Amino acid sequence: MEKIATICVYCGCGCGLFLHVEDGRIVGASPSPAHPVSRGRLCVKGWLAADFVHHPDRLKTPLVRKGGRMVRGSWDEVLSLTARRFKEIREESGPDALAVLTSAKGTNEENYLLAKLARAALKTNNVDHVARLCHAPSVAGLGFALGSGGMTNPIRSLLSSGAILVTGSNTTEQHPLVAAHILEAQSRGATLIVVDPRRTQMAQLADIHLAPRLGTDVSWTNGILNLIIDLGLVDEDFIIKRTEGFSALKDLVVQYTPVEVERITGIPSGDLEKAAVAFGEADRAAVVYAMGTTQHSCGTDNVLALANLVLATGNVGRDGTGIYPLRGHQNVQGACDMGALPSVYPGYQKVEDPAARERMEAAWGTDLPAEPGLTAVEMMEAAEEGRLKGVYISGENPMISYPDRDQVMRALSSLEFLAVADIFPTETTALADVVLPVASFAEKDGTFTSTERRVQRVRRAASPPGEARPEVEVAADLLRRLGVDADYASPEEVMAEISSVTPSYGGISYQRLGISGLSWPCPSRDHPGTEILHQGSFPIGRGRFSAVEQQELAEDLDYPLLLTTGRSLFHFHTGTMTRRTHLLDRERPKAAVDINPADAAALGVRSGTMVVVESATGSLEIEARLTEEVPVGTVYIPFHFAEAPANQLTARTLDPTSKIPGLKRTPVRIRRAE
Amino acid sequence: MTGTSAFFLRREDLVPLLEELAETLEVVAPVLVEGEAAFATWRGGALALDCENPLASPMEFFLPKKEVLFRYVQYSGRYTFSEDPPRARLIFGMRPCDLQALKVIDGIFGADLPDLPYAGRRRSTIIVALNCTSPGEGCFCRSMGSGPGAEGGYDLLLTDLGRGYLVEPGSPAGVYILRAHQRHFEEADPEDLREKERLLALAGEEIIKRGPSLNPEKIREAIDGVDWEEAGRRCLACGGCSLVCPVCHCFSVLDQGVPDGERLRCRDTCILSGFSRMTSGANPRPALGERLRHWYLDKFVYIPEKTGLFGCVGCGRCSRVCLGEVDRWSLFKEAAE
Amino acid sequence: MKMDRSKKEADANGGTKIGRAAGAKPESYLPIQAEVVDIDVESSNTYLLSLRPMDEEDELVAVNYSPGQFLMVSVFGLGECPISIASSPTREPLQICVREAGKITQGIMAARVGDVLGIRGPFGNGFPVGSMRGKNVLIAGGGSGFATLRSLINYIADDRRDFRDVTVVYGVRTSQDLYFTSEYGSWQAAKIEVGITVDMMDASWKGNVGLVTSLLADLDPVPGTAALCGPPMMIRAVARDLLGRGFIEPEIYISLERHMKCGVGKCEHCTMGRYHVCTNGPIFSYDVVGDLI
Repeated sequence: MEKIATICVYCGCGCGLFLHVEDGRIVGASPSPAHPVSRGRLCVKGWLAADFVHHPDRLKTPLVRKGGRMVRGSWDEVLSLTARRFKEIREESGPDALAVLTSAKGTNEENYLLAKLARAALKTNNVDHVARLCHAPSVAGLGFALGSGGMTNPIRSLLSSGAILVTGSNTTEQHPLVAAHILEAQSRGATLIVVDPRRTQMAQLADIHLAPRLGTDVSWTNGILNLIIDLGLVDEDFIIKRTEGFSALKDLVVQYTPVEVERITGIPSGDLEKAAVAFGEADRAAVVYAMGTTQHSCGTDNVLALANLVLATGNVGRDGTGIYPLRGHQNVQGACDMGALPSVYPGYQKVEDPAARERMEAAWGTDLPAEPGLTAVEMMEAAEEGRLKGVYISGENPMISYPDRDQVMRALSSLEFLAVADIFPTETTALADVVLPVASFAEKDGTFTSTERRVQRVRRAASPPGEARPEVEVAADLLRRLGVDADYASPEEVMAEISSVTPSYGGISYQRLGISGLSWPCPSRDHPGTEILHQGSFPIGRGRFSAVEQQELAEDLDYPLLLTTGRSLFHFHTGTMTRRTHLLDRERPKAAVDINPADAAALGVRSGTMVVVESATGSLEIEARLTEEVPVGTVYIPFHFAEAPANQLTARTLDPTSKIPGLKRTPVRIRRAE
Repeated sequence: MTGTSAFFLRREDLVPLLEELAETLEVVAPVLVEGEAAFATWRGGALALDCENPLASPMEFFLPKKEVLFRYVQYSGRYTFSEDPPRARLIFGMRPCDLQALKVIDGIFGADLPDLPYAGRRRSTIIVALNCTSPGEGCFCRSMGSGPGAEGGYDLLLTDLGRGYLVEPGSPAGVYILRAHQRHFEEADPEDLREKERLLALAGEEIIKRGPSLNPEKIREAIDGVDWEEAGRRCLACGGCSLVCPVCHCFSVLDQGVPDGERLRCRDTCILSGFSRMTSGANPRPALGERLRHWYLDKFVYIPEKTGLFGCVGCGRCSRVCLGEVDRWSLFKEAAE
Repeated sequence: MKMDRSKKEADANGGTKIGRAAGAKPESYLPIQAEVVDIDVESSNTYLLSLRPMDEEDELVAVNYSPGQFLMVSVFGLGECPISIASSPTREPLQICVREAGKITQGIMAARVGDVLGIRGPFGNGFPVGSMRGKNVLIAGGGSGFATLRSLINYIADDRRDFRDVTVVYGVRTSQDLYFTSEYGSWQAAKIEVGITVDMMDASWKGNVGLVTSLLADLDPVPGTAALCGPPMMIRAVARDLLGRGFIEPEIYISLERHMKCGVGKCEHCTMGRYHVCTNGPIFSYDVVGDLI
């Protein structure tokens, strides 16, 4: 038996674990005691991290559509077809008729090469990935306010906090190792404030739980800031020395009195005051947030409001302070870092910046497009309208994870050519012209970058099944077929190129990545990495306050309930891996809509009753589950389940800045199924 | 070599001895993986014997986290089955707590309708145990009567005396190894045996001084006084306590593959609600608190009734992995002496 | 010949008290293969499957069991689950009664005559038929729990003179849910009193409507020994009723159902306090499990 040290494939915590390998087969996993995040612990998904790897459903051979049927093809056949079709489409319709969706499940090396494939080979900036649906507002909002969209501090920094405000994060279920740190801090005396409409386990364990109405985040955040200013708890020294724009913000937030906030959000003014005092009085306070904050049509405003809070209280740049946008995928941070975004090259160098473009053109030895490309959801619109004709999708399943499933179906079906690389057949591979079987996380070498910007080594523990190949090889092969040099002997050589073109990864090499990895920015070979950002200054000079206001909330009498979506502890994303993990699937085998017993009584619905949930976008039939975890007027559906896809209901209302869809608030109505 | 029951192995002779053993057996030992100790196949080189007992117990070589019970192949409606034979293995460096766990499992998997896959592995494995002269933090084997010194259940027992190892055989297989590789061993000095007793006494005192001092009888009495509902509220349902416990042995069975495939057995945990939930949806232990309570009752009441041994060996691993910051042993504060 | 041996087996096997293993045969988890030789539809979602072991050496399995025991039944590719034996060892073939519940039971019900299923077992203690001899016997079933009781009823019917008054009460939701309707006549012919009741009236039903306990009031069984199987609510109500009639706790036997993976007391899924339902049960006397159900 061998034990291989690697990184978990699920959420952004980036836990270190050992895979136990017997005769080439992964038989188990256990946590790494020395790893700075896992510290000898894992959540249930981590303990079972590699359970899906040898599942018989794995894609083992390349497939190609012939006469409407998917048949087995050779690698050479499917890759030359892919390259040829992309070239033809580019010649007929121009490079912007092509797009690449990379995967937050892929390694940095894979994301880098796929972004390079889009820009250097296909000559388009149409490259994006699932970050669009999770932390695009953080990249935009925190990028504006602090100069970087990354989490400011490492997870273990929370252990030194005196107050922790958690919002829009079901932390015990979605980032259990972050939750473990928060609960440890609480047991050491930190005050835990949880702001969430649902009574999650985190909310139940909180010292103060505020339950706002969906979509009113800016109001309660401004309200807390207003109270903190009133109570004289702002860090004036910090505001003067390190920020700008405070007075405009101050003038705005006075309108958010506790009474006004209570009217808008439903949070009792006394509770708001308790939270403001706890947060304001703490010497070191931190804000932790996730999709509940970002997945709104005002997602960027929500992030900016939270940034105001940490800036005004001087909670930046020190241990125990900071703002923690929790990344949902183990490498969504890395995919962003690698420039798998339509507007930036690796290291967030803007494609519109001629100097940056020249540097990349020199490094890649080819000319590059100057206009930012389409975002993920815009790609679906462009495809539906016929502007986008050829797409390469790496390990994503937009059919389940994107808003408005019917539209995604129309968009992907209308493409002239769709290539999908994945480890399992999905609702999306079913629409593909070629399917490329690729290696899972346990079958390849590379790096992942966790939510705390920690770049860590991923190691091959077993061989990919059948003819499946690591996607880094697939991407390099496609690059070569499209005329770009890509003779990488190993993922390590790709990392060498990454570090040469990515300033924040400049000092990163495989040799330097021990059990703890390295946190970027790590600009040079002798740089120890940066665990805490913004320690004496911000990359943009001064931190910027933004006077953000509560958006008008659309109400619709036809759809009197509000639907919010999320994940369960036992499943991950579209469930392709967890639903093939016996113990996880057994724990939560089917979808259900959570309804408050009071709403259920009014609808004549009991636990187990089949109901129809309808929105302006679509409808679905699903079992009802009665629980006090959701407040009256709100219902909740986890989106993992293909047989009851929550995104059948969600709309494409986009945040104007970050283009994230408002997945967390959809007006719906419910009736008993016939 | 007859007549003598203790031998001495010089430090520098350990690796050559293992090299000879590895010629005919798979030798499993604590080795360093990216700087951390873990039980894995030893392929020469340094051993990680000065580290804390690895978090993943060597019990997985007897009760694998996942194993193929058999393969099925269908041919015109009928099936043929095939099983893998157990492999010959030597586990080096197994600690007394894990050895005690093996005795408990012998009382469950080896008795009353014995489990053949387990029995097969048990028979084909040689155990070279290592006494704990420098116990880890959180260890409380002494309270559970399972350490720091091993009592029986091994083929060979080593005690690190600093300049080398005291080696004591515990079975005919152990004596055979001593004979077959006798050039590495010399007769132990009576002083070596006294040194062993002294080191173990010191280690025992160390455990009492810094570890949770717990008395299993009192834990048993305290179980019903614990606020299990509150414990359940804090539990993050990671299942780590069961998955890391060397005595926990729950398993699930599933088939993968149609028409040909494998029947797999994988480790399970009673902390998950699906563990006891029936297809009808009815669940005899629906609440997390009830499941936690059952976990302790099993270890301190039911397993002792069945095997005569406590279902807890004091290795302290469950507290190390607990995600919910449930201080597992402070639950039994009144029980602490 | 076969019958004598199976009777002796059943009497020796069944009904021993807690803490006994059903024998010391090691468990390899390899099933034997059995062919589906007949399928009867008992109700809209319940089939009665007759099985015949395919290998001669396995043939004893078909008769070496006692009423109340169960088999682990496999559909290769879907998995294995416990199913109680519905036939009596006094009559071949071996039969299991399967109700659609999850994917494995769906797989079993999808089998056609000639298909092969895997079986392991028999497991569990079975009813204490040896000690029931010479006593009045009351058998009370609810819903699908009646399958295991049918094994006991036919066992008694085949050896009727060894038992005193025998009464069967059986309750279901609607008359469509009744199992083994063709056999009631033969039981009555064997001087077994049979009472049937349904929860919900419908046009085709002319019999009793109400709970099983209402049948007990009508039939007024003489105290003796009792065998119960059904939903927990029904079990509790019937047990209470019987205790009121002078039955004693150690003579009320209850067949329990739990999630199971091994059948041999290892996997721990079926634990109920200190008991394994698979090896200590599935038949428990009320004095042992009364407060656990």
